[in-house]
Amino acid sequence: MRVKISENLDDLSGLIEEIKGVSNEVGAIIVFVGVVRGLSSEGERVLRLEYEAYEEQAAKKLENIIAELKGKYGIIDAIVEHRVGVASVGENTVYALVASKHREEGFKSIIELIERLKHEVPIWKKEVTERGSRWIEST
Amino acid sequence: MVKVRVKYFGRLRELLGVKEEDYDVEDSTLADLLLKHIPSRHPEAANEWRKTVFVTVRDDVAMGRDGMPILKNHFILVGGRSPDLTYRLRDGDEVAILPPVGGGDDEG
Repeated sequence: MRVKISENLDDLSGLIEEIKGVSNEVGAIIVFVGVVRGLSSEGERVLRLEYEAYEEQAAKKLENIIAELKGKYGIIDAIVEHRVGVASVGENTVYALVASKHREEGFKSIIELIERLKHEVPIWKKEVTERGSRWIEST
Repeated sequence: MVKVRVKYFGRLRELLGVKEEDYDVEDSTLADLLLKHIPSRHPEAANEWRKTVFVTVRDDVAMGRDGMPILKNHFILVGGRSPDLTYRLRDGDEVAILPPVGGGDDEG
């Protein structure tokens, strides 16, 4: 298990190799990439997103979530990296990788992991568009 | 005297214009910190602070049956734990005031 909250994400192919190397029982690796979208939900042109985190608590919370997913679905391991700071349209902001024996538990885990990341982990996001800015709160 | 460090995030950091600051308080609860000490240091933002952090009725902070103010979807951590607002502050406490979160990539 590895969690990183940082201004920079690591190379994705390196992360795939890293999680593959955890166990020779790995039969599936599901990869989620979060990207800054160019249009807001109101149809405004997005200029950038600004992320900030309560870093030590965010990392701890993500580690707890991964531990729970291991128990619930029997996945082998997970890696999550999340950007903080300014991210421009088209840039990657989140990498989440789940390694499992079979694809089914991997798919279930990645969906739950991302949902919980949005709702439970202390990371905040400000959307800056051509018309102004606002803090995005998950509902 | 008890010294505590307070950390602000997101819209609260923007509202107060500071990421973290120290408070010297005496015989104070978490509710005292949020309702009295922080607004009195930031008088220009005090009204907006109360409306953002607490449930308000006609500009007054709404009180629960326990006599404590009612938080509006904000979350308070003290040293990584989430105590009641009746919690009595101790020397060296780190208080983090967390607005509703929203990480990830989109709003889905």
